[in-house]
Amino acid sequence: MPRFTYIRPQTLDETLHLLAQPQKRSRLLAGGTDLMIRLRYAAPDFDRIIDISRLPELKIIAREEDSIHIGASVTYTEILESALLQDLTPFFVAAARQIAGPQIRNQGSIGGNIVNAAGGADMLPPLVCLDATVQLASKQGQRSLLLTDFIEQPHRTRIRPEEVLTRIIFPAPQPETNAVFIKLGRQRTKAISRITIAAMGRTDARGRISFMRFVPGAIAPRVQRFTAVEERLLGELPLPELFRQAGEEAVRVMNALTGGRWSSDYKIPALRTLTQRALAAIFSLQSI
Amino acid sequence: MQITFSLNHQTIEIDAPADITLLTFLREHLGVTGVKDGCDVGECGACAILLDGQLVNSCQLLAPQADGREIITIEGLRAADGGLTDLQRHFIDDGAVQCGFCTPGMILAGEALLAKNPTPDREEIADALAGNLCRCTGYIQIFDAIAATARERQAQTTTGERP
Repeated sequence: MPRFTYIRPQTLDETLHLLAQPQKRSRLLAGGTDLMIRLRYAAPDFDRIIDISRLPELKIIAREEDSIHIGASVTYTEILESALLQDLTPFFVAAARQIAGPQIRNQGSIGGNIVNAAGGADMLPPLVCLDATVQLASKQGQRSLLLTDFIEQPHRTRIRPEEVLTRIIFPAPQPETNAVFIKLGRQRTKAISRITIAAMGRTDARGRISFMRFVPGAIAPRVQRFTAVEERLLGELPLPELFRQAGEEAVRVMNALTGGRWSSDYKIPALRTLTQRALAAIFSLQSI
Repeated sequence: MQITFSLNHQTIEIDAPADITLLTFLREHLGVTGVKDGCDVGECGACAILLDGQLVNSCQLLAPQADGREIITIEGLRAADGGLTDLQRHFIDDGAVQCGFCTPGMILAGEALLAKNPTPDREEIADALAGNLCRCTGYIQIFDAIAATARERQAQTTTGERP
């Protein structure tokens, strides 16, 4: 007796119909890079795999007016090879490029990275930076949630059993905005992130910081903007002393969110330095 | 589940169990044992295959996911005369094979790289092999073998010779 069955629907509608069948416990399979490993360690808690890795509705990367839409089954490789994303969000592409090794990048999906919601999920900080929303579909209809509301805690989201994450949508950044993604792992490649920073910013005509988003990853229970850091920077001239103060502020916010941890001795100086590095990169790229 | 796919240039129609990995299916049902079972959790790359030309770990796919795809394993790599390919020859000549367990995955990773980037630098070769572990060689000889093959193929392209 097989432990579970496998089905590969051809359309999203068919998928939603399958998910709505109450007599079956279904599990969606996109990249499988997390699910397949869990199966190795634990008995399946489902009767049926629904393979959504090839659903055409979930494979789009497109600009629709001022928004970018990315289908949930798009792989990391497809993200980093997308001319549209390379052009509009190079820092987001950089995050995809630094995930794991080629095999995982060829298999793993952006939707899986979001729904699995690991504490160190590398697509989350740039997406939060970009103010992304997720689109969920079920037989009942569609709903959209802010990514920051969708993820409740590591490995827990607000997706319902009958729902599919279909698209990730974010506004196209304004042209004069600069952005960076910095990752610190235990080794150069194939590392699970210890700390990441995704940040975007721009200055106004007087050279003062007029727009700032600052999102560290892998250090707080939920990925979020550090608004206290952003407020410290807004209206100021982008100078090294300011970046140093922003680094101190980032450490203060982290400590308030997490308290002391065994890793604090490492993370405090690392976050302080990475913050300065991220800001220097953003504002030196800017022609003032 | 009844599936149809291409395995090393041959079309196969077969009933595949739903709940086993593609790695187990290839090795134990189809006898394709060049695909190695190393870590079984997507870390080591010994089970790497080319799926529609892309390097993937067969331990992280279910058997029925092969349906409609084209799979190349080390058994499917062959020179025009049926012998070893230039890359395989370089692995031997440059000392890139010691125990040999990682070699099929390494060679497929090398081919996947050269298909996308015929002139990789050292850094790009290292990145392309980041998902394949070798516990014997220290990687240097493997990088050398891939770099030498790339140079040779480039030279043949420019002189118009067939590889």
